[in-house]
Amino acid sequence: MVAAVTERADNARERVFDVYDATMIRRWVRGSADEVAANRDFLTQLDAAIGDADHGINMDRGFSAAVTDLDATSDLPAGELLIRVGGTLIYRVGGAAGPLFGTCLRRAGEALGDAESFDAEGLWKALRSGLDGIQGLGAAEEGDKTIVDAYAPALVAFERELRGGGDGASASRKAAEAAREGMRATVPMQARKGRASYLGPRSVGHQDPGATSTSYLFAALARSLDGGR
Amino acid sequence: MTGPAPRKGMIQSVERASRILKVLGTGTSRMGVTEIADRLGLAKGTAYGLLRTLEAQELVEQDPETDKYRLGPAMLQLGNAFLDNHELRARSLLWADSLASRTGDAVRVGVLHGTNVLIVHHVFRPDNSVQILEVGASIPWHACALGKAIVAFLPEPSRRALLGLELAPLTGRTVTDPAVLEEVLVAVAAEGTALEDEEAIVGEAEIAAPVFDDRGHSVGAIGVVGPVERLLPEGRQAAAVIAAVRDTSRGLSRDMGAGRVGARSGATRR
Repeated sequence: MVAAVTERADNARERVFDVYDATMIRRWVRGSADEVAANRDFLTQLDAAIGDADHGINMDRGFSAAVTDLDATSDLPAGELLIRVGGTLIYRVGGAAGPLFGTCLRRAGEALGDAESFDAEGLWKALRSGLDGIQGLGAAEEGDKTIVDAYAPALVAFERELRGGGDGASASRKAAEAAREGMRATVPMQARKGRASYLGPRSVGHQDPGATSTSYLFAALARSLDGGR
Repeated sequence: MTGPAPRKGMIQSVERASRILKVLGTGTSRMGVTEIADRLGLAKGTAYGLLRTLEAQELVEQDPETDKYRLGPAMLQLGNAFLDNHELRARSLLWADSLASRTGDAVRVGVLHGTNVLIVHHVFRPDNSVQILEVGASIPWHACALGKAIVAFLPEPSRRALLGLELAPLTGRTVTDPAVLEEVLVAVAAEGTALEDEEAIVGEAEIAAPVFDDRGHSVGAIGVVGPVERLLPEGRQAAAVIAAVRDTSRGLSRDMGAGRVGARSGATRR
């Protein structure tokens, strides 16, 4: 009951001032874990076609571990919290997705620094650092049929909405839409990075599992900025 | 889209039929006559005639419900025949099994095909986890240990030609500078084993050694592949795996008719 009241107060404050703190990060990670868990079998099915059939299982294991760890920690500022979640993902997801998503959140956390709160601009910069981290590890560009095909357009949409006068909630909604479109656009692509690239032309006609997970993370982000709705 | 004009001495209908098979071999895999005709720039009637002929040979088949075409069962038999005829693959089966059980890792055997390593045999990591067969996969040579092991022992002109072609990055750690890669090949030739540290897939590593034939040429390579933290930790475990890979490649080379180690020459510093 007290928690619900506190959360409503948090949401009201976020909507009025467009300022966020660790509670938003907690909602985002929890929401991402829910999305991944609900789509676990679908992700694995996508990965079986062009990868090694473990993406859904690995992501679910890693995000469950991150939520468990989240419940055991309190009073960490947003940046440190994200760094911690990133570390859990690297260690517990495994495969290529663990280092990629884990490094992404770590870099995002480092960008947020040790401030107690951040605004939509700060969130955009954190997301941008996250993409830099992914591209540093994977060297993927748009069109390679990877996470980047959902992430890069989401980041562009987020910034465009922000520069056009939108707030964090509307920017993250636009980002989630763009991520979803980017995810769908991976279907006709021939993979140039990752295990799918080993298949050459046979990778055409399948949706990329990494881009799919990325769109879930952006969907969860949009909900977490929209007062948890 | 229209196809390339047939070259002199080539038979156009065979070329067209081959292109149909290749189009059906992409991930889209099920296509109607009109779609196939459009993709290849053929009249619908021509495409239909070719498809009917291929269907009679069981190289393609038509889905009775959707009328769409896909590759037929004869293709699988041909693919298997290709693998069965492959001497290195045939001789590597037992060696690969024993390397997998000795190290507890997945094992792959590859040969150089153009600028890529073609995986001709794959033994799963013996831990009952879900894994996908990678036979038929094609990996840029410079990004994998198998490729580096093979190329380090190729004759100088072939090695130089490969180093002169585009070296695309597969991850942030892929070596794409030909001068640096040449140094790597010199080290591989000196040590007899090649390493890959997240250069093809993030989070994955490979340790491989070349396989030689009776003329001392590197005809392929065998190696273990797996999570980087497992394969390339500091210390003894990695050394044990390297020794196992080296032993296996020597045994397999002997089976292939290779003579003494000293008969081979690998990359050297210029």
